[in-house]
Amino acid sequence: MENPYQPIKAVVEDIILETSTIKTFVLRPEKELSFQTGQFIELSYPGWGEGPFTPSSDPWVKEKIEVTIMNVGRLTSKLHLLNVGEVVGIRGPYGKGYPLDRFVGKDILIVGGGVGLAPLRSLLFSLFSEMDKYNKVVLRYGARSPKDIVYKDSLPRWGKKEKVDVVVTVDVGEGNWKGNVGLVTTILKDLPLEINNAVAVVCGPPIMMKFSTLKLLDLGFKHKDIYLSMEKNMSCGLGKCGHCRLGKYYVCRDGPVFNYENIKDIHDIWD
Amino acid sequence: MPPLYYLSQEKWRSFLSLLEKDYQIYLPQITGEKGIPCEFGKGLPKADFKLAKYVSSKISELTFNPYRTIEPLKTFYTFPKEKLTSVDREERVAIIGIKNCDLFSLKIQDYVFLKGVVSDPFYKKRRENTLIISGDCSAFKEVCFCLGMEINPFPEEGFDLNLSFLDDGFLIESGSQKGEEIIEKGRDIFPLASAEKISLREKKREEIVRKLSEHINLHNLPPLKTLQKIVKEGFDSPIWQEEALRCVECGGCNFSCDTCHCFLLSEDRFGSAHEQVRLWDACLYANFAKVAGGANPLRYRYQRLRNRYLKKFDFFPENVGLVACCGCGRCIEVCPAKIDIRNVLRKLSIECGIERV
Ligand SMILES: Cc1cc2nc3c(=O)[nH]c(=O)nc-3n(C[C@H](O)[C@H](O)[C@H](O)COP(=O)(O)OP(=O)(O)OC[C@H]3O[C@@H](n4cnc5c(N)ncnc54)[C@H](O)[C@@H]3O)c2cc1C
Ligand code: SF4
Ligand code: SF4
Ligand code: FES
Repeated sequence: MENPYQPIKAVVEDIILETSTIKTFVLRPEKELSFQTGQFIELSYPGWGEGPFTPSSDPWVKEKIEVTIMNVGRLTSKLHLLNVGEVVGIRGPYGKGYPLDRFVGKDILIVGGGVGLAPLRSLLFSLFSEMDKYNKVVLRYGARSPKDIVYKDSLPRWGKKEKVDVVVTVDVGEGNWKGNVGLVTTILKDLPLEINNAVAVVCGPPIMMKFSTLKLLDLGFKHKDIYLSMEKNMSCGLGKCGHCRLGKYYVCRDGPVFNYENIKDIHDIWD
Repeated sequence: MPPLYYLSQEKWRSFLSLLEKDYQIYLPQITGEKGIPCEFGKGLPKADFKLAKYVSSKISELTFNPYRTIEPLKTFYTFPKEKLTSVDREERVAIIGIKNCDLFSLKIQDYVFLKGVVSDPFYKKRRENTLIISGDCSAFKEVCFCLGMEINPFPEEGFDLNLSFLDDGFLIESGSQKGEEIIEKGRDIFPLASAEKISLREKKREEIVRKLSEHINLHNLPPLKTLQKIVKEGFDSPIWQEEALRCVECGGCNFSCDTCHCFLLSEDRFGSAHEQVRLWDACLYANFAKVAGGANPLRYRYQRLRNRYLKKFDFFPENVGLVACCGCGRCIEVCPAKIDIRNVLRKLSIECGIERV
């Protein structure tokens, strides 16, 4: 019998300290696990529960999977105490990924906030590996402070790539920070892209997604060209437990990435 | 129409013996009288029935429930708490006395657990191992409003066998291959039914529909086709807050409801090992939708009460084309706060300006 609730084992191969509250875990699942960028997994540790996380690694790499996790509560604080060699459980992947076919030939604006850059990193890897298909990638990332920036080494490298433009901002500047200061919406101006031929992908805390979306609409983005990662309480990941309902959708089944056109009329989507 | 057979009261035990060979039988038993005091409920029966394991040596009197049992049918397919390990040892079960409201709910549960991304192996196995022997309703409780959901008080599909109570026995018909086989095996117990008995069943069916419609009319239930509109347009209505003020968050409405299906995956310690368990969950519980960092889109009780109605009358019609309410009235009977789904829908419809047709 195929038991969809039974996780497979995965060994922690490496742990990368991103910030004081965020770590990236490199996991090697006992079976190869292929996912599409934007899909999520249910990650568990016996006795500490299970939670949804989006792989932040390159989907082309099949034998390892990376997840970038912020320490916010019960399960995540336990995960942050793990050592290399320990074993976690994985179910999935679940949900629908980013619709890459709809990005072909377009300018792609990617807006990230905080740990919301995790799924976007996986998206960036996918785009970078077939860059000839896309016009341009414009990344705008906001973190709370310089200390809270994830993938610190990668960001400048990505910015040097051909057809890729990266700008980072922090809410509060600290120490010798010489970069932008202000919410991510403040760097959503003078964008080096053709809005009529662009799509925008947003992932971050709800409040950041809300104001970024409003800003994008202001700039002239059409509803149907904006993609949002919706976060809801999840349990099963399989469209059965009922926890993640958003209007007529289940986020785990029909998302987590949604076209804004499809969800804009649903009440309280930012709550 | 498939052939109808006749099962006389004297042959009832032979029928059970026939079933007993292959199945653990569950039969309705009377458990007490609660009943809902209601101005429209005068003279309606109050007895409660529950399904109990049938042990042929122990049961002296046989009862046939005139209306649904107190427990929802879903208790045979998912459990309040269960280990999600192996399903190999599931017994074969025959349930007698299921009514049409519960057969309707099974369509909702089937959609959730059998369709979609994957089908649930635990549910599937139990579903396959269950023989459903339904029955026509010969009476109704105050809280019954199946007809309001356009569900008849007698089964027409979704059963393996159906029994229609006539004064001295039953008409029996099969509705599946499994049912067919039992009829075949028991041909000596069930002769073909006479035309007279068949027309008696029609009369009884017409009679209960008439009485039940009269009763439901007293409650002024808005028509089925308006319910989705009512709950959507009533999103910002003060009615949710008025009603939810009394809610004590017991979750009884969810647990007793035959269409509510939400669950939570969790784990339990068995010795030194942790095993996955599934618990029924309730959207009326405060943490149902809470996410990390303390954000909670269903923070307030009124939002959670409203969520229950939106799920039933908007989400399910959009996804399955059916409302997720069978009119069984269990949530009305169980609610200590006396939140009555009929009142909520009626109030919303009045506010919406929808006239009853
Ligand atoms: C599709 C999706 C992708 C995500 N990707 C990432 C990611 O890549 N990196 C990251 O750091 N975070 C991600 N999150 C958020 C992450 O799932 C939560 O931070 C995590 O579940 C919190 O668990 P906790 O036990 O540490 O928190 P606590 O606040 O202690 O949680 C307590 C309980 O609340 C419930 N709960 C809280 N938040 C959630 C939630 N979001 N979904 C379901 N149940 C919840 C659980 O039942 C949990 O046991 C994602 C969330 C979703 C929905
Ligand atoms: S909502 Fe109430 S009346 Fe409707 S199916 Fe559930 S318990 Fe029965
Ligand atoms: S049964 Fe009544 S009191 Fe209990 S949770 Fe439901 S609405 Fe609230
Ligand atoms: S997480 Fe269970 S239905 Fe979406």
